[in-house]
Amino acid sequence: MVLEGMELIAIIVVIGLFFVVFKQFGVWEPLLLDESSDCELELSAVRYQPEGLEQLQSQTKFTRKELQSLYRGFKNECPSGLVDEETFKTIYSQFFPQGDATTYAHFLFNAFDMDRNGAIRFEDFVIGLSVLLRGSDTEKLRWAFNLYDINKDGYITKEEMLAIMTSIYDMMGRYTSPSVRDDDPSEHVEKFFQKMDRNRDGVVTIDEFIETCKKDENIMASMQLFENVI
Amino acid sequence: MAAGVAAWLPFARAAAIGWMPVASAPMPTLPADNRQKQEGLIAINVSGHKFQTWRNTLERYPDTLLGSTEREFFYHEETNEYFFDRDPDIFRHILNFYRTGKLHYPRQECISAYDEELAFFGIIPEIIGDCCYEEYKDRRRENQERIQDDEDSENQNEMVPPDMTFRETMWRAFENPHTSTMALVFYYVTGFFIAVSVMANVVETVPCGTLPNRVKEVSCGERYALAFFCLDTACVMIFTVEYLLRLMAAPSRWNFIKSVMSVIDVVAIMPYYIGLVMTDNEDVSGAFVTLRVFRVFRIFKFSRHSAGLRILGYTLKSCASELGFLLFSLTMAIIIFATVMFYAEKGSTASKFTSIPAAFWYTIVTMTTLGYGDMVPKTIVGKIVGSVCSLSGVLVIALPVPVIVSNFSRIYHQSQRAEKRRAQKASKAAGQALVCKANPMFDTHHNHLLHCLEKTTNHEFVDEQAFETSLLEVSMVKQASCSSSMSSSSSNQGLSCCSRRNKRKNFNVPNCNMTGGHRNSIQELSTIHIRERHIANSRSNLNAKFEETVPLNCEHPYITAAVITLPTPPVTTPEEDASFLDYSQANIVRVSAL
Repeated sequence: MVLEGMELIAIIVVIGLFFVVFKQFGVWEPLLLDESSDCELELSAVRYQPEGLEQLQSQTKFTRKELQSLYRGFKNECPSGLVDEETFKTIYSQFFPQGDATTYAHFLFNAFDMDRNGAIRFEDFVIGLSVLLRGSDTEKLRWAFNLYDINKDGYITKEEMLAIMTSIYDMMGRYTSPSVRDDDPSEHVEKFFQKMDRNRDGVVTIDEFIETCKKDENIMASMQLFENVI
Repeated sequence: MAAGVAAWLPFARAAAIGWMPVASAPMPTLPADNRQKQEGLIAINVSGHKFQTWRNTLERYPDTLLGSTEREFFYHEETNEYFFDRDPDIFRHILNFYRTGKLHYPRQECISAYDEELAFFGIIPEIIGDCCYEEYKDRRRENQERIQDDEDSENQNEMVPPDMTFRETMWRAFENPHTSTMALVFYYVTGFFIAVSVMANVVETVPCGTLPNRVKEVSCGERYALAFFCLDTACVMIFTVEYLLRLMAAPSRWNFIKSVMSVIDVVAIMPYYIGLVMTDNEDVSGAFVTLRVFRVFRIFKFSRHSAGLRILGYTLKSCASELGFLLFSLTMAIIIFATVMFYAEKGSTASKFTSIPAAFWYTIVTMTTLGYGDMVPKTIVGKIVGSVCSLSGVLVIALPVPVIVSNFSRIYHQSQRAEKRRAQKASKAAGQALVCKANPMFDTHHNHLLHCLEKTTNHEFVDEQAFETSLLEVSMVKQASCSSSMSSSSSNQGLSCCSRRNKRKNFNVPNCNMTGGHRNSIQELSTIHIRERHIANSRSNLNAKFEETVPLNCEHPYITAAVITLPTPPVTTPEEDASFLDYSQANIVRVSAL
């Protein structure tokens, strides 16, 4: 009968209200998967201290004062002592506001993060900088090779190079003159491989790379460009 | 870019080596880096508190005092540090700004002190971090309102031009009953008659027993008709006289007629006159009776006598949007629930919900939780709907009420504060007189300086009244208040030392705007710095200009003098009448022609 049907509806409404009230009081959480509760243990509890000054001095080519100055700047920006990838991408992107620097920043992050733990410590940072600013040409070239070799297997393939090149062109953004066409990166990769790949086996090894670069005057000159940055 | 990100720039440049092997063109040469990098500590001594920081930290913001060469002015050779004679507690925050790139506003500091420090160190307040910006803006707004209140009340209390017309005196008496005893008497008399009239209206309708030749009880109004009529006449006469007087005294009659109080006045006395006109016509006397309802509006006349009522009215006006929202949401809810109720109860027999509008009454009564009980749902669905209706009614009404309450509270407290400050002014003035006697040498030097100026320009400073009378003789223009305190410098010197930061009114440029509304120009002109060397010239110019052109000025509301703001070190320059130093414009010469 209609009346009974209506009473049924009333009863259903009341039961529904009960469920709502229970959920409100946290008494009954039937289908909620608790992803939220483990978010409290965040990296805020983690703090990292670098090795001592003497050790860093022996590992890098910076003077004591330079190390002190570098650490002060680093600690100011990252009080926890670690730079994770997101922060790194954000910082690096701020220098290239017109384009998208996140992909290149990702590769850069991997090049600095030598022990692959997802965060750059001060040691990684300073060792990397030491190579870039105070290292010999061979060391710098080795560092660049390491950057291009995404999977760190000792060979640069065309795909890896294309990824790097695309990320570099991405940093340029859309408003360039002449504007970046879609096949610009691949053309650039072709030119690179023609220059570097001696034995035409489709990959560039470290020796091919270093040898070719040392023969190129432009590259050697530009390697010395940023020596006085610190 | 934030200072923090700038710290990463060397890293980004170093990482650029990664592009070198794939570069298609040679790299551009480095820009010349002539700046020698001094990595040294700077010691800053602020009133004895020693602060130290790296030189680079300060140089992050080169357009502030500490980051530029301006700080060299504060270098103290003997102790090899930079000395500032300022507040060290606030300086802490300023130094933190250099360190972290974020400026914070400490809640316990006074807003004007903080603003002054920021202005001194060349930091614009807009860069206060988001965490503190709300608080800062709120405090600033409160301060501005307070200053505005002070000004308004000062202007009200001090503008007693000696030759107001009778009309203006009357208007002032009406608006501020405290100014004269006549006004006070008038105020109380009208208040009394308003109360009497309202009481009479109320008592008129009370049943008063039966007349000897009638069965039914009659109201007092009918029994003592003559007495009430006389009372009513007397009240209305008083109200009419008051209204006419106000109309006569109003500076702008059209504005007065449009104002709310005048409308209330008219509505309160109209029924009587209409009644007088219409008593002989029996047909419309029924309508006349309804007009008597409007006599109750006399109670609103009390709002002239009560500040609280005015505040309530003002609050309701300022909360108009919240009230509007409340009304709108209630209307929506009423319509929805009435419709549902009607259709739910349609089936039941002898249902009182005969139509949707009929259900409106039920919905309103339920939502406001009145629950008269004259209409109740009988079906189950109806009852469910009814319960949901009452629950939602509680919620909808409860939401905008706190907003209205907080608005009322804020406005009420503001008016309380204004009252308190007026009461405190007497003691404040006494206190300041005490403080200002501290530096007698300053006064002597200052007087000597003014004398030198007088000798230079061959004019003399005179005091206010003498100038006024002489002006009255010169021209019969009634705005003789132009003279004001340009020439009152000699007498006000005692105040000018401490008036540097506190009062802004010492220098009132004579423009004939006392009764007009051009107070803004006075404020702008009140920032005047004059360097010592130029005093003779500029002062003589100003003097000559004022004295010559004052008669002219009395006809035109604008002054043709140019005001020149020059930077001065804030400590030693004895300014004559300039009372408000403009710290923030330290490096800018501003010429404003008004």
